[in-house]
Amino acid sequence: MRIVIGQGSCGIAAGAEKVRKALLNTNINKDDISITGCIGMCYLEPIVDIYDDNNEVTRLVQVSENDAETIAQYAQSGDKSLLDKLIVSDEDSEFLTKQTRIALRNCGIINPEKIDEYVGAGGYEAIKKALTKMTPEEVIDVVKTSGIGGRGGAGFPTWFKWNAARSSEGEEKYLICNADEGDPGAFMDRAVIESDPHNLIEGMLIGAYAIGAKHAVVYVRAEYPLAIKRLKKAIEQAKEKGLIGNNIFGTDFSCDFMIKAGAGAFVCGEETALIESLEGHRGMPRLKPPFPAQSGFWRKPSNINNVETFANIAWIINNGGEAFAAMGTEGSKGTKVFAVTGKVKRSGLVEIPMGKTLRDVIFDIGGGMKTDKDFKAVQMGGPSGGCIPANLIDTVIDYKALGATGAIMGSGGMVVMDESTCMVGMAKFFLDFTAKESCGKCIHCRIGTKRMLEMLDRITKGEGKEGDIELLEELCYSIKDGALCGLGQTAPNPVLTTIKYFRDEYEAHIKDKKCPAGECSDLIEYRIDADKCKGCTLCARNCPVNAISGEVKKPHIIDTDKCIKCGKCYTVCKFGAVVKE
Amino acid sequence: MINLTINGKAITAPEGSTILEAARANGIDIPTLCYDKAVEVYGACGLCVVEAEGIPKLLRSCSAKVSEGMVVNTESERVVRSRKIAMELLMSAHDGDCVAPCQLNCPARTDCQGYVGLIANGEYDAAIKLIKNKISLPASIGRVCPHPCEKACRRQNVEEPINIAQLKAFAADMDLKADSYMPDVQESTGKKVAIIGGGPAGLTAAYYLTIMGHSVTVYDMMEKMGGMLRYGIPQYRLPKEVLDKEISLIEKTGVKFVNNSKLGKDFTIESLKAENDAVIVAVGAWKSSSMRTPGEELDGVYGGIDFLRGVIQGNAPEIGEKVAICGGGNTAMDACRTAVRLGAKEVYVVYRRTRAEMPADKLEIDEAEEEGVIYKFLTNPLSFNGEDGKVKSITLQVMELGEPDASGRRRPVPVEGKTEEIAVDSVILAIGQKLVQGDVSELELNERGNIVADADFFTTSIDGVFAIGDATNRGASIAIEAIGEADRCAKAVDAYLNGQELDTRVPYISKRDEDTIDYSDREKKDRVNPKVLPADVRNKNFDEVSLGFTEDEAKAEADRCLECGCREYYKCKFLNVAQRYDINPERFKGEMPQKYSHDENAFIERNTSKCILCGLCVRSCREVMKLSSIGLMGRGFTTDVSPAFSLPLDETNCNNCGLCVQLCPTGSLTEKFNLPKQVPLNEQYSEEFVEIDGKKSSVVVSRYNGKILRVIPNDEVSRNSGLSREQLRALVD
Repeated sequence: MRIVIGQGSCGIAAGAEKVRKALLNTNINKDDISITGCIGMCYLEPIVDIYDDNNEVTRLVQVSENDAETIAQYAQSGDKSLLDKLIVSDEDSEFLTKQTRIALRNCGIINPEKIDEYVGAGGYEAIKKALTKMTPEEVIDVVKTSGIGGRGGAGFPTWFKWNAARSSEGEEKYLICNADEGDPGAFMDRAVIESDPHNLIEGMLIGAYAIGAKHAVVYVRAEYPLAIKRLKKAIEQAKEKGLIGNNIFGTDFSCDFMIKAGAGAFVCGEETALIESLEGHRGMPRLKPPFPAQSGFWRKPSNINNVETFANIAWIINNGGEAFAAMGTEGSKGTKVFAVTGKVKRSGLVEIPMGKTLRDVIFDIGGGMKTDKDFKAVQMGGPSGGCIPANLIDTVIDYKALGATGAIMGSGGMVVMDESTCMVGMAKFFLDFTAKESCGKCIHCRIGTKRMLEMLDRITKGEGKEGDIELLEELCYSIKDGALCGLGQTAPNPVLTTIKYFRDEYEAHIKDKKCPAGECSDLIEYRIDADKCKGCTLCARNCPVNAISGEVKKPHIIDTDKCIKCGKCYTVCKFGAVVKE
Repeated sequence: MINLTINGKAITAPEGSTILEAARANGIDIPTLCYDKAVEVYGACGLCVVEAEGIPKLLRSCSAKVSEGMVVNTESERVVRSRKIAMELLMSAHDGDCVAPCQLNCPARTDCQGYVGLIANGEYDAAIKLIKNKISLPASIGRVCPHPCEKACRRQNVEEPINIAQLKAFAADMDLKADSYMPDVQESTGKKVAIIGGGPAGLTAAYYLTIMGHSVTVYDMMEKMGGMLRYGIPQYRLPKEVLDKEISLIEKTGVKFVNNSKLGKDFTIESLKAENDAVIVAVGAWKSSSMRTPGEELDGVYGGIDFLRGVIQGNAPEIGEKVAICGGGNTAMDACRTAVRLGAKEVYVVYRRTRAEMPADKLEIDEAEEEGVIYKFLTNPLSFNGEDGKVKSITLQVMELGEPDASGRRRPVPVEGKTEEIAVDSVILAIGQKLVQGDVSELELNERGNIVADADFFTTSIDGVFAIGDATNRGASIAIEAIGEADRCAKAVDAYLNGQELDTRVPYISKRDEDTIDYSDREKKDRVNPKVLPADVRNKNFDEVSLGFTEDEAKAEADRCLECGCREYYKCKFLNVAQRYDINPERFKGEMPQKYSHDENAFIERNTSKCILCGLCVRSCREVMKLSSIGLMGRGFTTDVSPAFSLPLDETNCNNCGLCVQLCPTGSLTEKFNLPKQVPLNEQYSEEFVEIDGKKSSVVVSRYNGKILRVIPNDEVSRNSGLSREQLRALVD
């Protein structure tokens, strides 16, 4: 019997480490207790998998340290009924069974801190195959056949970048992994590094071999300490096994690895800003051309790919480009990982083949809304992406199809919203993020996003005026056209798509000074419906500013001058007597 | 070589050159604010964008290379739109004043801050030259102008405005004392201009048109030139000797004067037109307005300007001992103070509002009272009552203040049934003046009875005939208003005579939001006023009341100037690009990125609130000087340029080379002038060579009026010489 605790950041945050310690304090054999990375069902953390001797797994969810003894008793008695309350439901199990996992194939299964478990799962076979049986050109060919595009968001063909870097003149070349995942609500890359770091290393080694680089660099944000720790450990282990270093597998191919922790600037996810930061400069994008493939890190030919892209490479080499290309659509091959969050019932990591629909992800796998409100929209691709409204829920997951809506595939952030989300507020939230994360270099991004934010702020406060929407649109198109890098060029997307699909909501804020979703506190008022109020005093007791008065068992009244619109009364009232309007 | 097309022009450019280089080599100007050959391309400003056929994105021409067969458009609609918004956004975050508010509020746009600063520095001849760019009669105007400049002066937020008008009079008096400044007159154009009316408007137009090389004759109905300055302003305020001297300087430029010659009698507009290439009508408003009060026709009731003219011409009308002046403006003040000087015992000023609403200058109101004038506020004449056709008393309606009217002043309303009667020997109506319409019957008039003249071109209903001043459009106003019109009219007439198109666009000017300015760090210093004759002395004669500034007083007063306008105004690249596009940054008005702040050492002044983050300073310091004394800080909108570790510049490794200052496209980094008082001046730059340690080295020298203002190192030798600015200046001298 093995007891495996999901210890990705998400699991640890939910208390997995406490559970592990509690289990270690039971009479279970300590050698039987181990960890794995992110299992993917964030909403059910902490998760404990119990493998029996036939390797059949019993999955326990939302486990607390208090359950340790129960588990120990089960370990002793084998009485499964003890676990009834903890075992994952069939419905929740579908969250994983409906997925097709390639990049995440080992996540939540193997121990990320043990290279042997990766090797046991077929790891490092692909790099061995590439080094001993394939030329770099053949590797690039297989990648070309697979049709994989950059998983960082733009979907640019990976083989093309590799080929360009390979063709660039120069002895010194660099292969760089962009692990500066910064979109609010996105955590695909973190999960891969924390859960399967060797898969990333192997993908990078193959890439380095393909382009002729002897140096591999992982640029990872410092906010991912666990990822950095596990990746460091993995690099050490790979070095010990001779998988990193000189003459790997006895071939002429040598490659060293370096980790660089980024200081937390979103813009460093832009490849040229990433290079500036790597060199020790302020993270600001460089002009392109020249492209990194010609002049990148230390002005040497460099190739930069996203974590998820590399996470697919070993599988592609092992299984062939055709197998990968067999999944997906005409223009978008393979699978894509999404971090599904927001008002959805089941949140977590979802990897599915391209060509599925948003409905498949949000309703079939994600289980629909967690509240009784209707699905309103989904924000794809974080602050660089756009929203897709409910009536386009059957849009196919494909670079072109998603692009046609005004949103983007992006790196995989999927924030699900229901009817209680104000779309102007949503656009403001993401714009606030990009405005703060602008590096300050180009005018359009530095000042343009700030001015847009000020306009949105006015609109949500009821100070919007006629012509604001048109001015916002003008500014949006101008920023898209004039900004220096991807951050600025895509920053208007949340605003443009919300205007496109929810223009009436903007107009309601501006003309009627109303927030239809009831989220903009300056535009709403709370009052108590005297017919429904039972005079239970619960609201009055919970009001932080004593704005509610009334005698026991008589209808209460909210003093709107005192009210700070915190919504506490609305939440606590058991009779639906507090009205928000 | 690469063949490409830019704006329809086929050109060739060396392989590897950028579109920007190729365009500039072929005389096609693409604006940039962050590009300089000295440093690597950066791409921040995005102004150099161009459109190339077949490429969906706009290209930054500073980095995009030329390619064979490329078709580039540097001014397409999309390009212009992008640049315009970029400039609007930049300007919306540029917290600076291009020009001081005093200058902007002067109807003639006189560079007040400039001459005040020059006076503070003792540069009087430079000051008068600057003044005479806009005002040809500064000693006179300095004395009589109600100085709108001072109303805008920000020093009043500290204590009181700068005494700008008196400083102007001071500089002009200094100039009149000896070797008066004479402008260079351009070569004769052979064009003839006739000007009807020798008042401030006519004389000003004559002066500037003469300087432009045109042959100008001024016709005036009176015995002497000067118009209302001579016949409407009392001697004690503007001595005629001063006016005479100034007019004679105008005459000396070559203007021909014809006096005692009246429109409609001695000539017509058409007759002048037949003999000249252009005619300017500047006849003024010489008729006192009526109050439409019963009894105005009585003997002893005079028009204000008629009364003043009579006194000035030596035939003062009989006013007796009790005189009432109706009105609250400066003409009323001139009339009452003149009446006092003529010996009247009781002089009343009847005004329907209160002292606070009086349009007259406060100093005048106070000085009149000191001289014995009695104010009858909140009264309005109901009737002038006479005996045997001669005025004997006035019935006054008592008023009170009601709701504010369109002008923002509280409207006076009669107090029902409450009247008052005062006995008078004479009444002077000083409530306004009008054009004598019969004189200009050849021209189209508006509903107010004034000449219709175009606001920009000053053209009238007759081709080649222009009109300015009190006789036009909205009617009589202050002299400086007419002078401003005359200056602009001179340019319009010059363009007309040369067959050129006149650029009437109003140049874009960056202005700070007055509400955001903090004065708490300013030391209070009292306003200096010139000494005046004691009231009991001056009320008996017509000697000039003001004794004028002494040199020390003038310098002390001028030194109070807050230096609002930007020192880099004349060479600001940012402002220059702003003029190319019709920008409206107001639509993006919002928060400013930086608190307005200064940081300075002996030579360099930094003001990051004007910074446009082109990065030239930071990059040149790093790439050229290898110093990195300054760098970028913060992110997003609040990104800022700061000395290393936020230290004062002097505590970094900065060697004051001045390269950052030289490359700064706006007024964020400036080199101080070699002057105690800093003042925006239109310097002349030249590259000069000096010898440093036996090596020839280049420096940039800026001069103004012959004086070296700054010497900026201009090559590796001078930048690394370690010499102070004084030492460099000594090498140039």
